[in-house]
Amino acid sequence: MGWDRDQSRRAFLGAAGAAAIGGAIWPRVPRSRVMVPPGRVVLDYWEKWSGTELDSLQRVIDRFNASQDRSFVRVLPVGDLTTKALVAIAGGDPPDLLGMLSYSVPLLAETGAAIPLDRFSPALDTGAYLPAVRALLSYGGRQWAGVTSVYALALYYNRAMFAQAGLDPDRPPRTISELDACAARLDIRSADGRLERCGFLQVPVWWPYFWPIMFGGVLYDSARDRAVFADEATVRAYEWVASYPDRLGLSEASGFASSFERSYHSVGDPFLSGRLGMIVQGPWIANFARACAPELDYGAAPVPVVDDLLDPTEPTGLLEADVIVIPRGCPHPDEAFEFVRFMQQQETQEALALAHAKSSPMADVSPGFHARHPNRSIRVHDEVMRSPRVRILPQTRIWKSYADRTLGAFQHAWGGGGLRESRRDRLLRVLRGVESEVQGMLDHAARLRSRRAGPGGRA
Amino acid sequence: MNGSARAVGRGLLFISPWLAGFCGLTLGPALLSAWYSLTDTTLLDPPVYTGLSNFRRMWSDSLFWIALRNTLVFAAMNSIGVTAGSLGVAVLLHRAPARVAALARAVIFLPTVVPVVTACACWMWVFNPRFGILNSALTAAGATGGPDWLGDSRFALASLGFMSVWVIGSPLLVAGAALREVPRSLLEAAAIDGLGSGGRLWHVTLPAISPALMFNGLMALIWSLQLFGPPLIMTRGGPEHATLSYSMYVYLCAFSYGDMGYACALAWVQLALTLALSAAVLVVGGRFVRYRTT
Repeated sequence: MGWDRDQSRRAFLGAAGAAAIGGAIWPRVPRSRVMVPPGRVVLDYWEKWSGTELDSLQRVIDRFNASQDRSFVRVLPVGDLTTKALVAIAGGDPPDLLGMLSYSVPLLAETGAAIPLDRFSPALDTGAYLPAVRALLSYGGRQWAGVTSVYALALYYNRAMFAQAGLDPDRPPRTISELDACAARLDIRSADGRLERCGFLQVPVWWPYFWPIMFGGVLYDSARDRAVFADEATVRAYEWVASYPDRLGLSEASGFASSFERSYHSVGDPFLSGRLGMIVQGPWIANFARACAPELDYGAAPVPVVDDLLDPTEPTGLLEADVIVIPRGCPHPDEAFEFVRFMQQQETQEALALAHAKSSPMADVSPGFHARHPNRSIRVHDEVMRSPRVRILPQTRIWKSYADRTLGAFQHAWGGGGLRESRRDRLLRVLRGVESEVQGMLDHAARLRSRRAGPGGRA
Repeated sequence: MNGSARAVGRGLLFISPWLAGFCGLTLGPALLSAWYSLTDTTLLDPPVYTGLSNFRRMWSDSLFWIALRNTLVFAAMNSIGVTAGSLGVAVLLHRAPARVAALARAVIFLPTVVPVVTACACWMWVFNPRFGILNSALTAAGATGGPDWLGDSRFALASLGFMSVWVIGSPLLVAGAALREVPRSLLEAAAIDGLGSGGRLWHVTLPAISPALMFNGLMALIWSLQLFGPPLIMTRGGPEHATLSYSMYVYLCAFSYGDMGYACALAWVQLALTLALSAAVLVVGGRFVRYRTT
């Protein structure tokens, strides 16, 4: 009995102590609402950015919050945002605003998961965007998203390395053959044959679908809703990809590339650390260069194209965007649109672009924008974005699935050494396989669209 | 109401929180996913009934077959490796001094409590082709340099399989406990009959602990058929989809590709496959398992 009494007393004291501690630390007001001025509508904004990118977005949001007294935007960084956004929208409990990638726009539009921005008034001035940006934000003739930032890829090269190798630092490669020649000059091997420095590699493999574009490929024929992934341009592109492990040795090239797998945008970044002479990157690399390698003497140029595509006045490239959408079922769509409108102002866009070291998505740029820009090569990115030859990702809801399959094809090309005589055939078989499967998905999506557009379906 | 009905009612009342959770969070979603598997839906729009078309799609989906093959190969490597590895270590520890065995068990159990992300990050360094301890050891042993373990499609899945055998803490405990339960009298009788240590292990110990081995093998099989974290973290399913696991593909279809109906169909096939393989192991393995009768 004494043991039971002791146990009960101990349990009671423990529970009481825990309750007291819990009561002491329990926030009287939800922590997230502490800073909200009274009388404002709170807009929850889920954004995929974190770190310095989120900090600079927060500064823009602070300006919005201070500029009016109706609503208050509260940003929440969310990892794996696409997944969580889909679940939140499906569950009927989305935030007011979602910071997505532009490839999500077709899926959100087709499923009615986003509210078209042309539903609100006064309407946004879509003529203020660059044409390619306007295309990224639209689907089926309607605008579904506002833009938060854009980027076009460029070739960054180490000027000091160029000079050391006897190359002209003011004359970066413009064609694939020039790129190959420069890369070979920059390679350095140790006495035992190991690759110490590499002139160029197709790393990081974040845009495996990019190279066909630089060879004249189109990936997708929107007019006929056809996947285009086994055409001559794509085959040539991936044959060229394969030429690098061929030249450097598959094992050496793979080992070299893999050793940087987790160190991009840090002091261990292959380009920033001087282990890679040239790299294809977005304009944000300027911010990382300033932080991690302030002494790095770099330049940038449009990504080289296959020789017969070269037109220095109209560079070819790829444009992608971060977008902001108002999800279906959001609690405060009108107030959310006010914030989207604020974000689409030239001044706001330039502030964010300067902080992220990116280009402005707007057709007009203020006079001091380039002078104040942290990326000394930002005009190169601007040229690509404004070029009539700039491409955007295929506007189809199955793009993510397509993109993942292009990664498989890229890796096949990269690792497909050995039987040289049959390489082209094997590569072609893989590319045709991808094309056929993607076409199957496109056809499936089209059937679904028509079924939904039928009686009782959504058009 | 009689006493037994009242007792049942009271019992149900006591477990009602669990029942509510089970129905709301497990049974309900499972039934819903069975319905979704017969439809085309992203979750964002109302499902459209398509019959068995999602199941038919699998035949022509190369990634489905790749993911299935990868998962089965991994499951074979893992369940055999974990069962054999834990048995081998358990036998060694069984013969070791008690203090050494206890310490070794604690050390071997440690990976079981390490979060999968941390473990994967460490193993990525182990497998790093340039700076990894594995290739450094190979170089020190005279090799001209090891392969790119995770970056080469020929080695990537095997590397994950090798890594997975590292986590043998739980099966080791089960095997160790079973070894301690082997009747001493049987071992002594076998020794008197002239069996050496190998013979006693084969003819006495293994049959005696076969239920535990079966349990370990079955658990390892079921776990490995759900492989998800390591390929997602370490290889993202690459290179060339060589490490794309079935669960990862289900996840991608559901949440990245917006193809929830197809993902649900894949998940039901995975369940059927797991049940079928488990049943096969039980039936085939059951022939070799000796249960003790009292």
